[in-house]
Amino acid sequence: MKLKYIGMLLLAIVLAFLYFFINPSEVSFLPKCPLYITTGIYCPGCGSQRATHQLLNFNILGVFQQNALFVLGLVIIGYHFLISGINYFFKKKLYNYIYHPKTPIVLLILIIVFWILRNIPYYPFSLLAPK
Amino acid sequence: MEQNQPKNYLVESILVTIFCCQPFGIAGIVFASQVNSKYASGDYEGAKKASENAKKWMKWGIITGLLIFILSMVFVFALGGLAILGGGNF
Repeated sequence: MKLKYIGMLLLAIVLAFLYFFINPSEVSFLPKCPLYITTGIYCPGCGSQRATHQLLNFNILGVFQQNALFVLGLVIIGYHFLISGINYFFKKKLYNYIYHPKTPIVLLILIIVFWILRNIPYYPFSLLAPK
Repeated sequence: MEQNQPKNYLVESILVTIFCCQPFGIAGIVFASQVNSKYASGDYEGAKKASENAKKWMKWGIITGLLIFILSMVFVFALGGLAILGGGNF
């Protein structure tokens, strides 16, 4: 169990270095989205490699341009770790909205709406597509 | 008897959805919502089952994501895939 976490941490560090130094828009050896290659449709995750690069270089506007959902994902993950961290270290019992019955449904609808909108090739929806 | 809510893997499923392999991540989110709603209505067994399903989808999402990443690296660096693709930036 411990080994798994160490492995995950190492992987995260390696990937962080990779995406800090390499801009995925400028090189062609990083994997492309399989859905985009086969169908030409952007998925909800398209642009997140480029967004990771922008984030690691502190270009928040760039993150929004590549994948607006990426920001929401970061906020949710941050929120989850913050709440569970506080509950664990300070022995508190704050309510975590990740476990609210409505949360996953709202997120699912958000993701699917985002998916549809970013594939409409007209302004202003084209802003949601990765650059 | 009060039982803890089973882990719903919502955060992991969102990670999978945003970073790769959307079908797996979306299935994970659907099961995560079942964990929450079934637990809220008192169906502890159902919530536990949904939790196991969510974990399974999330795990396959991560595995396929890593596989795609590793395979494409192997393709490019070991087999000279860029030459095959014509070096095109697509």
